[in-house]
Amino acid sequence: MKKNKYLLLLSSAGTLLLLGAAAVDENFLKEWRRIQSQGQSDEGAIPVQLRQVVNEGLGVSDRCVSCHVAMGPGEQSVRGGEVLAPHKPVVHDPAEYGCTVCHGGQGLATEKDDAHGRVHFWPEPMLQESFSYAGCGTCHIALGVPEKTQLQRATLAFERLDCLACHRVDGRGGTVRPDGGGMEGPDLSGASLSGYDRDWYAKHLIKSRTEPAGPWTKTFQPVSEPDLKLLGAYLETRVAAPDLVQAKSVFLSTGCLGCHQVSGVGGDDGPDLSIAGFKDPGQVSFEHVPGSRVMENWLAEHFRAPASVVIGSQMPPAPLAEREIRQLTLFTQSLRRKELRDAFVPRDRVKATKFGEREFASDGATVYGAFCAGCHGMDGLGRRAPGLAAFPSVANPDFLALVSDAFLTESVTRGRPGRRMPGWLREGGLTKDEIDAVVSHLRTIGGTRQEPDPRPARWVTASPDAGERIFESVCSGCHGGQGQGAEGPSLANPVLLETATDTYLTETIGRGRRGTAMPGFHSPSPVYPALTQDDIASVVAHLRSLGGKK
Amino acid sequence: MTPVDAGGPALREFVENLKAVPRRLKETAFRTGPPVTDRTRSTFVFGNVFLHLHSVRTHRWSLRWTTTMGLGIMTFAAFLIALVTGVMLMFYYKPFPDVAYQSMKDIHFVVPTGRLIRNIHRWSANVMVIGVILHMARAFYTAAYRRPREYNWLIGIGLLVTTLGLSFTGYLLPWDQLAYWAITIGANIAQSPREVTDALNITDYFDPGGFQKLLLLGSDQVGAEALIRFYMLHVMILPLVLAALMAVHFWRIRKDGGLVRPPDADERLTKKRAEETYPVFTEAPAKTYHLAAIVRGRTPNVGRGPENTVPSMPHLFYAELGVLMFTLLICVALSLVSDAPLKELANPNVPENPAKAPWYFLGLQEMVSFSAFMGGIAIPAIVLLGLALIPYLDRETKGTGEWFGGPGGWPLVRLSLLFGLAVPVLLEAFAIRFGWLREWFPDIPQLIVTFINPATVLTAIYALYSIWCIRRYESARAGALGLFTCFLCGFLVLTIIGTYFRGPNWEFFWSPADWPQH
Repeated sequence: MKKNKYLLLLSSAGTLLLLGAAAVDENFLKEWRRIQSQGQSDEGAIPVQLRQVVNEGLGVSDRCVSCHVAMGPGEQSVRGGEVLAPHKPVVHDPAEYGCTVCHGGQGLATEKDDAHGRVHFWPEPMLQESFSYAGCGTCHIALGVPEKTQLQRATLAFERLDCLACHRVDGRGGTVRPDGGGMEGPDLSGASLSGYDRDWYAKHLIKSRTEPAGPWTKTFQPVSEPDLKLLGAYLETRVAAPDLVQAKSVFLSTGCLGCHQVSGVGGDDGPDLSIAGFKDPGQVSFEHVPGSRVMENWLAEHFRAPASVVIGSQMPPAPLAEREIRQLTLFTQSLRRKELRDAFVPRDRVKATKFGEREFASDGATVYGAFCAGCHGMDGLGRRAPGLAAFPSVANPDFLALVSDAFLTESVTRGRPGRRMPGWLREGGLTKDEIDAVVSHLRTIGGTRQEPDPRPARWVTASPDAGERIFESVCSGCHGGQGQGAEGPSLANPVLLETATDTYLTETIGRGRRGTAMPGFHSPSPVYPALTQDDIASVVAHLRSLGGKK
Repeated sequence: MTPVDAGGPALREFVENLKAVPRRLKETAFRTGPPVTDRTRSTFVFGNVFLHLHSVRTHRWSLRWTTTMGLGIMTFAAFLIALVTGVMLMFYYKPFPDVAYQSMKDIHFVVPTGRLIRNIHRWSANVMVIGVILHMARAFYTAAYRRPREYNWLIGIGLLVTTLGLSFTGYLLPWDQLAYWAITIGANIAQSPREVTDALNITDYFDPGGFQKLLLLGSDQVGAEALIRFYMLHVMILPLVLAALMAVHFWRIRKDGGLVRPPDADERLTKKRAEETYPVFTEAPAKTYHLAAIVRGRTPNVGRGPENTVPSMPHLFYAELGVLMFTLLICVALSLVSDAPLKELANPNVPENPAKAPWYFLGLQEMVSFSAFMGGIAIPAIVLLGLALIPYLDRETKGTGEWFGGPGGWPLVRLSLLFGLAVPVLLEAFAIRFGWLREWFPDIPQLIVTFINPATVLTAIYALYSIWCIRRYESARAGALGLFTCFLCGFLVLTIIGTYFRGPNWEFFWSPADWPQH
């Protein structure tokens, strides 16, 4: 009896003690209490309490401000250390918009590791600080971004014409001069977002004539027509997120959209990337990824060597510098569009989703860079990757000399059914204008026009039987026994056979393609005999019959 | 204008009644007054719906710590703790794939005290599993299953199975990789009769394995249907079954004459502590034993004096509450030191390697690695059947109520411990070092491997050993002592091997540090 009483007493006391300790720990020993106790406002010490930012429209209740007090509503004046400090000036006041909308992480948690998502197996950790601009992608879509060379040219034009003398962009330029002048122009960091005066040049001109002195007379010079265009392109991309725009321009020059869709535009050979920024690190394999288990590392390694990170990946590795890999990672992380209530949908997103405005600039270089460069290379000379069929060189001068623009347009529009090249009008979601822009861009990088061809589209009358024998002994090694394509392109392809003229086919066989594995058969090579014009014609006749066999 | 004190008699009575409310509330709630006399102590017990499963007086033998070590009450206490914390968790838990995982993350990282409550729930579940096994061992070694308690032993086996079922169904609910693949393993064990039907080529016509898996998962793989099934089983069906079985279990203790004790318990108690004998019946009995007279069998107080019994209130209740609080103390203490695991979201495309079942099934999984059907279905069924048959095969009386009582006694148990530990260790060592039939004769029919593998060999050796015990001591109890001890040892060894020494592809490793890195 006594033993049992003691057992009861001691166990109860012990349990009470432990629960008491847990309660004290839960309620009084939290880190945010310690941090808040150091906070001082103008009226003295701030009350220590759980603080949060609630924005029902965005579905946000963020307790981050329990530590980052001065970022909370009406607390800007709170001082007391780095953690409590106010947010650096940004367009969106965290006191109103909350924190997790941009930064990710767990808004309801009240402990650092939990809130930042730096715990094991956290599905949506906070974006790393150097990737912060990816957070903009939650709501925003940077529109009309050109590929990286174009963007670079536009940026250089802005610098070359010394606009930074008066204007400030992303924290640069607009210096204050000792004589009290400086900062004459407005900050243009968000010019595209806030909108800017389209007649700025005319007004600048007038002002430069009327103003008596100061920078107007010294600095401002008339601008040439092409430079004006570049400046316009530059201003269009100023959305107060320079890192993100640059990252996007790299994305648009790497050809990712050739196989991946983002918001309904792009090929469908690879996974849809529309919300790739929300990828759960717990759902991918880190077996071959060095460094810590964060998506940023996974993505970067995946860009370096796709097939070693994702076993069986058909993605050709892109020739990228480390800086560009970082930028691609940033952009991929920014693909995290959330459903928003109408009141919170920003203008750029309305333009993109409701009015079909493009995320990429509509010039040929950008469209080519965004959709074609992944396989055909930015220079159009085709690419080879281990384990993958060679991607054709589309800017090859021998090729461009023989094909009409109509052939190119048709090929892009309808693709190559059965191969990795989709039909870009229907499947890929490009417009006719964009396809035309790509075709003229091909002519630009290839630098070759079509040779005049007086012959009709079909003029070969030879018998296919002789051609079949020649094809089997000479062509099938690369193009496959039935012309289905192997190391070389597929020739039995219906779109190719429909659109290619007989001149194109005979001349391609005869001349070959310089810089590729295709030899010219007018003259003998160490491996193949020369073919006569009749032989070539019969091979073409055989090719034509392949199309009918499908 | 009428002053209050000028009110009529009715109003005065009303005021009196109002004043008397607290006193009357107490009187009506505790109708028999404070439990200060033996009589009121008795009425306190049988007048209370929750306490009346107890008899009003408890034998002092039952209150000795060495009699039960409080294991049954500890298991019950763990159930109560799991029940309360489980209901708390249900406020936040959402049983749908992926959403379930999110809600677990919320419970773990956001909900105030959520992590502690979840930890307590998990630890109490483990205490319950350990408790139920130890309690069974106690009941076995004190021969408590013997007449008239045979049926209660069966109920106890039902409770064991239900407890394991509760723990197993709870395992899936977090919907993380750990849960997903553990349940996948469990479901495949349920499907393992296919090993035999496949070998006989009759799976197309007769597929009990596939049916069992379908019944369990509601689909051919772990998904939304499986989750809701496990959830319903975990929070509704199994707790109700368990509660019903427990009610019977407790009720039968009373009906079977209280806890088991040796026939000479009274003398032994009196010899030791004559001076401590509690005064019996401080007043004349107000009731006769009419009811007791119509109860058949040897109930404790029929035809015998009630010496050496004490009122259950408060003696037994102190003990029970003490164990309850002690269990709570253990659960809370463990919960503060060790967090319940929560891995990444379940991903059907990325199997865990090794995927391990909950720890108490790792012995099964170890046997399953030799043969799914034998390890997962046949041997467990044989074990359960054997356990259930014990009280009907051992009809002896010698040693009832004594630890390790009966022919053979502690020396036999000691020998069985050595034997029971040595055999599985040696067998496993042999199989790990030299392989088994499949490695020696790759083309051997599966049926042969199914019936001859380390697990079946182990079972057969244990059975033979038990028969040897029966012959050596000329006693079924001796056979049972040997077999049960061996069963506990085998369970222990296989569970430890499955837990600590099996790595990727269920290969043997001395420690997880040696696992191939990937």
